[in-house]
Amino acid sequence: MSNRDELLRIEGIRKTFPGVVALDGVDFDLRRGEVHVLLGENGAGKSTLIKMLSGAYHPDEGRVLVDGEEVRIRGAQDAERLGIATIYQEFNLVPDLTVAENIFLGRQPRRLGMIDRKRMEADAEVLLKRVGVSVSPRARVRELGIARLQMVEIAKALSLNARVLVMDEPTAVLTSEEVDKLFAIVRQLREDGVGIVFITHHLEEIAALGDRVTVIRDGKSVGQVPATTAEDELVRLMVGRSIEQQYPRQQPEKGAALLTVEGLTRDGVFHDVGFEVHAGEVVGIAGLVGAGRTEVVRAVFGADPYDKGAVKVAGAAVRRGDVNAAMAAGIGLVPEDRKGQGLVLDASVEENLGLVTLRTATRAGLVDLKGQHAAAERIAGQLGVRMAGLGQHVRTLSGGNQQKVVIGKWLLADTKVLILDEPTRGIDVGAKVEIYQLINELTAAGAAVLMISSDLPEVLGMSDRVLVMAQGRIAGELAAGEATQDAVMALAVSNPTNEKTGTEASRGH
Amino acid sequence: MATDTLKSTTGAGGATGGLRRLLLDNGALTALIVLVIALSALSGDFLTTDNLLNVGVQAAVTAVLAFGVTFVIVSAGIDLSVGSVAALSATVLAWSATSHGVPVVLAVVLSVATGLVAGLVNGFLIAYGKLPPFIATLAMLSVARGLSLVISEGSPIPFPDSVSHLGDTLGGWLPVPVLVMVVMGLLAAFVLGRTYIGRSMYAIGGNEEAARLSGLRVKKQKLAIYAFSGLFAAVAGIVLAARLSSAQPQAADGYELDAIAAVVIGGASLAGGTGKASGTLIGALILAVLRNGLNLLNVSAFWQQVVIGVVIALAVLLDTLRRKAGATPVAAGTGGNRSKQAGTYALAAVVTVALVGATSFLHNGSSSSTTPKMGLSLSTLNNPFFVQIRSGAQAEAKKLGVDLTVTDAQNDASQQANQLQNFTSSSLGAIIVNPVDSDAASNSVKAADKADIPVIAVDRGVNKAAVDALVASDNVKGGELAAKTIGEKLGGKGKIVILQGQAGTSAARERAAGFAAGLKAYPGIQVVAQQPADFDRTKGLDVMSNLLQAHPDVQGVIAANDEMALGAIKALGSKAGKSVQVVGFDGTPDGLKAVEGGTLYASVAQQPSQLGRIAVDNALKALEGKKVEETVKVPVKVVTKQNVAGFTG
Repeated sequence: MSNRDELLRIEGIRKTFPGVVALDGVDFDLRRGEVHVLLGENGAGKSTLIKMLSGAYHPDEGRVLVDGEEVRIRGAQDAERLGIATIYQEFNLVPDLTVAENIFLGRQPRRLGMIDRKRMEADAEVLLKRVGVSVSPRARVRELGIARLQMVEIAKALSLNARVLVMDEPTAVLTSEEVDKLFAIVRQLREDGVGIVFITHHLEEIAALGDRVTVIRDGKSVGQVPATTAEDELVRLMVGRSIEQQYPRQQPEKGAALLTVEGLTRDGVFHDVGFEVHAGEVVGIAGLVGAGRTEVVRAVFGADPYDKGAVKVAGAAVRRGDVNAAMAAGIGLVPEDRKGQGLVLDASVEENLGLVTLRTATRAGLVDLKGQHAAAERIAGQLGVRMAGLGQHVRTLSGGNQQKVVIGKWLLADTKVLILDEPTRGIDVGAKVEIYQLINELTAAGAAVLMISSDLPEVLGMSDRVLVMAQGRIAGELAAGEATQDAVMALAVSNPTNEKTGTEASRGH
Repeated sequence: MATDTLKSTTGAGGATGGLRRLLLDNGALTALIVLVIALSALSGDFLTTDNLLNVGVQAAVTAVLAFGVTFVIVSAGIDLSVGSVAALSATVLAWSATSHGVPVVLAVVLSVATGLVAGLVNGFLIAYGKLPPFIATLAMLSVARGLSLVISEGSPIPFPDSVSHLGDTLGGWLPVPVLVMVVMGLLAAFVLGRTYIGRSMYAIGGNEEAARLSGLRVKKQKLAIYAFSGLFAAVAGIVLAARLSSAQPQAADGYELDAIAAVVIGGASLAGGTGKASGTLIGALILAVLRNGLNLLNVSAFWQQVVIGVVIALAVLLDTLRRKAGATPVAAGTGGNRSKQAGTYALAAVVTVALVGATSFLHNGSSSSTTPKMGLSLSTLNNPFFVQIRSGAQAEAKKLGVDLTVTDAQNDASQQANQLQNFTSSSLGAIIVNPVDSDAASNSVKAADKADIPVIAVDRGVNKAAVDALVASDNVKGGELAAKTIGEKLGGKGKIVILQGQAGTSAARERAAGFAAGLKAYPGIQVVAQQPADFDRTKGLDVMSNLLQAHPDVQGVIAANDEMALGAIKALGSKAGKSVQVVGFDGTPDGLKAVEGGTLYASVAQQPSQLGRIAVDNALKALEGKKVEETVKVPVKVVTKQNVAGFTG
């Protein structure tokens, strides 16, 4: 108890929501200068736990001690006073304010009642240098990429003199290069004596960065182990069983070309992008964040317009910039931003599953609600969506189950070409494997799958072919056999305007 | 979330548990029931079949408008134009059928089409023009109101009789507006729950981008959603006009806010994605029950507005608290859950007690059965003239020992109809009415006549219905006097402007006629501009300032009331009373002060407190069965600086 290095202790925390016990008897502690990893499947209760620390939720039972004293964290102000800073997956930044304003939001240095812009920007500059990011304090946050946003969040936490830094899946949206940079910063903070609560689904990061691991399963803390524990053991603790194969790709017979993209160009965004996806095939698109991958697939789906080129499904051209034409041709898109673009969060599972088929289930203006219900029931069962019932709001589902709902609505529409944009981001190991199985079933049934992913092992493990994009162009194509992490990265950082050297360089590895 | 899910709390509770669940699930319903219980306890007249049907009729227009707005709010939009579109649709119906002899069926189709087109224009601006819904519908609010004034030329148009039956009762007891409300409510529930467009509304309101990427044609849906809202507004407009037997260009002013309030009280979120027709109906009923109850309780007209505002806030607060209470765990921790429920009940109890307490405090009628009871419905209390009528009437009532209830119709003919209906159903001894509009009051007065309640009109007459007496100043004569006064002052030569009253009111029309008639005797006087300033001081100031830009050389102003005259004087600044002579109308205290100060040259003074006094006198006579004169003219006189000292209203 009287450990002088102990910053934070949580004892027997319990928290319930309507119909759900989110946390039940969770213990956790954090020492000065350590990285304590919180591990658990999505829906296990990790996010709920850290929201107790930031004051967003209040525990029903149990106690929280900071420096050995029991505290009640009622809101963000309390957390700030106690030196607890949290960086969520969804950043808390105001897009139209500058970096410096965001860092000091609500605490801007003032002189004579006016904001002292000069001092604020100078202070911000120092903080930004400390986290090692080259961005102007005067830049607008809207203009920054996702990795830089995260660095700004960290700088903000540093400006609060945080002694406890909670990071909720900070690596989920970063490329491996950016991850390395983040790790360097986290290690530096650890040297400085900050205690870090680190949530991740990437098991290899635990050994690389962590000191101790607390595993949470179904709202209970099931064990605390050193970070050197073998990955298999961690997975067993996390899911309560062992997972045989992480990437269970089964390659069926390749059929005719289903999706053909030719010379697709939107000025300044992507150029001359062309590829084919055959029936029964999974084609992965790898590349750094900002390489134009999402933009290309959105254009293919008709969600955004393009300037030149053509999209064909089974040889027939699809009208540009028309989602409905793409859908009629059999294309479906599972978007990158699951909550913002994939789901109606406050609608039920049934309504979300029926969204794509709403039109076809309509006769003379009337929706066949019974049919929709039956279809939703069937597909939810097939996908194994864990829920209280079809009437549950999808907002309260875990990330993995939400993603199953998004995929499920396309399955109901008999989609022939399914585009998956970061399908497993923020999803736990168990649910990931279920989604991979689903991809297998789809391709076995003759569908074509185009998958964007920033998770390199995933791209390599699940794709039959890998396209690598860099700077809005296709930098190269690798068959499953020749695709290695090094080969993909070499292409991803290449300059594809002089394509030849790029490809050759990759071959050299 | 992983485990420990529980579907429902009602286990052993049975029927009472079900009811409790229903109430907890619907804060608005609870609020409505609390209100009904409170009002039944406070007023014996409230819980009668007749009065409840009245409440239904009074809720109908707001409810039908609100059903349309529900579609829009569920899809995360807003429609501010419904009140104006309702007025425009009704005006189109009356104009085509009455003034242009279009067959009534065709006129109804035309009117509904008008609402539809207005909605489509809204939808087009929002979906394709990318205007924010607030702005697009705000523009339509103005355009539709303006068009209805243009078409009707500012005057109410009588409604064709066959359509006016929509305002009557079916089989002698079931009011048609209630029927229309129920049918439109069922239609709205059906559209929201069962149709493609209805389900799309929830998806678009919940997450527009997700809906678009799921293949919903969001733009086309939005067109349809706003068209639906316009269609419902047209139906509401027809019902409203049918009740009044006349299409009023100024009708349903501000109703969009009532409609939005009803939708939100009913549990919808302005952020979109939630909302139900049943909730909206309850919201509209809460508003109607409140207005009706406060009338019956004789709560002061000013306090009524305060109470209505507080109740709107409380109803939504109750709903929010209910949701929070509902968001507490039910799986385990039954003790905590129970205490939360108890908290909700306690809150409901506190609200009830507070409401009962507050209304009984404001309710100033210790009604012993022997004192004669009367009701006075004033067109507005936002104008000193009518406030003086009230004071005169109240002073006289006190003197004669009469229990007088005063209501304020806020210049809304339909609200006045509600108030008169409430007077009739609480069987008062006599009713004094100061009509918002002479045509529109006829149906309500007929109903009072039928119930053998004597009706006295004050200041303005009632057309097409028998009143026992009209107590009024002579507006036409007064207008002529005003013209004569300015003509003489300017020596029969010069340029003047006329500030007209609110378009569509009889006072404005009659005074304008009087001005015109009086000016005929002065061919040297040139009227360079005539503009309406709605009897309002601020508008008088604005309109006069604008006119001065165009005509800097005017020498005289005739204003159809003192308020506008005082506004004009502000605009004229130091010129007032020196190079420009202003003549007002009414002789209000402020006006007379200005006459004394020399800025207002003259005011054609009515004697409003006399009007009020004489009206109460006559009402008492009629109540006691004595004979009353059919018209009682209260003289007007021109008050100038010379005779202002001796003049008392």
